[in-house]
Amino acid sequence: MPHASAQPATTVRLGFFPNLTHAPALIGLERGTFQKALGSVKLDAKQFVSGTTLTEAFAAGQIDIAYVGPGPAISAATRGMPVQFLAGASEAGAVLVARKDSGIRSYKDLAGKTVAVPSLGNTQDISLRHILKEQGLKSRNDGGDVTIVPIPPADTLAAFVGKRADATLVPEPWGAVLEAQGHRVIGSEKTVWRGGQYPTTIVIVNAKFADANPGLVTAFLKAHTEAVAFLTKNPAAAQTAVNAQLEKLTGEKIDLRVLQRAFARTRFTTTLDLDALKEYAALNVEAGYARNTPDLASFVRK
Amino acid sequence: MTVSRAPGDSVTPATRPSGRWRTLAWQVIGLLVIVAVWWLVTDVLKLYPPYVFPSPHAVWTEVAYGLWGTGPQDGKLLSAIGGSLRRVLIGYAAAVALGGVVGLIMGAWPPVRTSLGAYLTGVQSVPSIAFVPFAILFLGLNERAVLFVVILEGFIPVALAVSGALLTVPPALRIAGRTLGAHGPMLTWRVLLPAAVPNVLTGLRTAWSFAWRALVGGELLIAGSKSLGEQLEVGRNTANVALVLATIIIIGVIGGLFDLLLRTVEARVRRDYGLEVAQ
Repeated sequence: MPHASAQPATTVRLGFFPNLTHAPALIGLERGTFQKALGSVKLDAKQFVSGTTLTEAFAAGQIDIAYVGPGPAISAATRGMPVQFLAGASEAGAVLVARKDSGIRSYKDLAGKTVAVPSLGNTQDISLRHILKEQGLKSRNDGGDVTIVPIPPADTLAAFVGKRADATLVPEPWGAVLEAQGHRVIGSEKTVWRGGQYPTTIVIVNAKFADANPGLVTAFLKAHTEAVAFLTKNPAAAQTAVNAQLEKLTGEKIDLRVLQRAFARTRFTTTLDLDALKEYAALNVEAGYARNTPDLASFVRK
Repeated sequence: MTVSRAPGDSVTPATRPSGRWRTLAWQVIGLLVIVAVWWLVTDVLKLYPPYVFPSPHAVWTEVAYGLWGTGPQDGKLLSAIGGSLRRVLIGYAAAVALGGVVGLIMGAWPPVRTSLGAYLTGVQSVPSIAFVPFAILFLGLNERAVLFVVILEGFIPVALAVSGALLTVPPALRIAGRTLGAHGPMLTWRVLLPAAVPNVLTGLRTAWSFAWRALVGGELLIAGSKSLGEQLEVGRNTANVALVLATIIIIGVIGGLFDLLLRTVEARVRRDYGLEVAQ
């Protein structure tokens, strides 16, 4: 298959997380959608546990296309990494869960507690700091009394058992998994921010790779669109496929009813909500993770 | 009675004012060369993209914002320094107290020294970061876990230095003390311990560098309150390498300054004890 560019890639290196909010990636892998679209070019999919490690791999030039949260994506673009925003992937799908014996029943009760997020500066961390601000609360490093600790979502179950955290803002399916263990959802995907109208995962591409391989990017986008369409049109089949892929990646299968609940709280899309991304960038500044809001429109790949 | 001191030669070549200025001059030249090479590699030759290796100017900007910036989100490095210093001073003080007691016990009873000493040396060879997962599980994801690691790392060099110093007190002093009527605890307290001070100070200096390193390692994994470790983690998570380098520099400067302070005290004590001989 001939390439239009001077440096045609023989491999597309894809980064993603084993989360429901990355379901288009999981579907694309499980159903072979990506590989089919890329033809003879090999797909090399790598899973990451946090936006941090994914961004580091991106900076080192080890990843071409990635599913990632807006937080790390905006940070990377702001710091001058060759990142371009390609498409939307999922919206909402993050919930605030309180440990059953923590005594937390509403956002107000977070005062003086320890709240876990997947990593400092990630999408959920930024949302959490916004929630705290609206409640008149502050994190400890901002002079308040709420301790924000980074704990990978898969480890929050153990962290709750060991009482190392009182609550957590996690992407699905981890919220539903914790809920199934008897812990309490005190902030639904809709109350976390913007009535649920916010991107949780987007697709980004290395600008240099995209310039050299426009055909591959188009092919990948087509596969991504197909995966999202499958998720919205055949939820039942999609849940089975997602579960199968999650089991391959993590070695654990999720109870289908738990997965259904997580699905109901997540929306899949290919649209990039630039307004929401701009607000994210503003929250990033508010949280002290950046000093200025960049012109996000310039980072969108046309 | 007090231990006898050799008449001190208070001015040795290393501490003569002209020598001190020359040392300082060379150190400034060294710093300028390092910054110049750094600037050449980043800003001039642009060998690395700024998100991988930022310029001195970018790092300086982070230092300025973090230490004396006045915006609502500025001054984070300053409060991180405050948090880390508070933590390390508490941990270090506890480590010195604990190490002192353990060292005295080891020095007084040879069987304890033989049995415990070997294990302490073994524990000391384990990198502090290796204890962090255990500390988290044992004490929780909190400050106590950081202090645990700091104290564990800090007390061993003190204990070993105290027991070792007691052991290496010149026999003549011991005999002299006995002759003058000091026995048992009194001999240890009034004769041996004062004589051991120079060596104990060396132990305190080692303990400081161990404690400081253990602190930053622990803070890196147990983020959640103002700390230099958390600044490193935030810098990493927000792809802000300039903040990471700024924090590393601050960690180095604080560690170095405190070491310099202890080194000065140690030098003065060694001089007063007549251990520095003019060449």
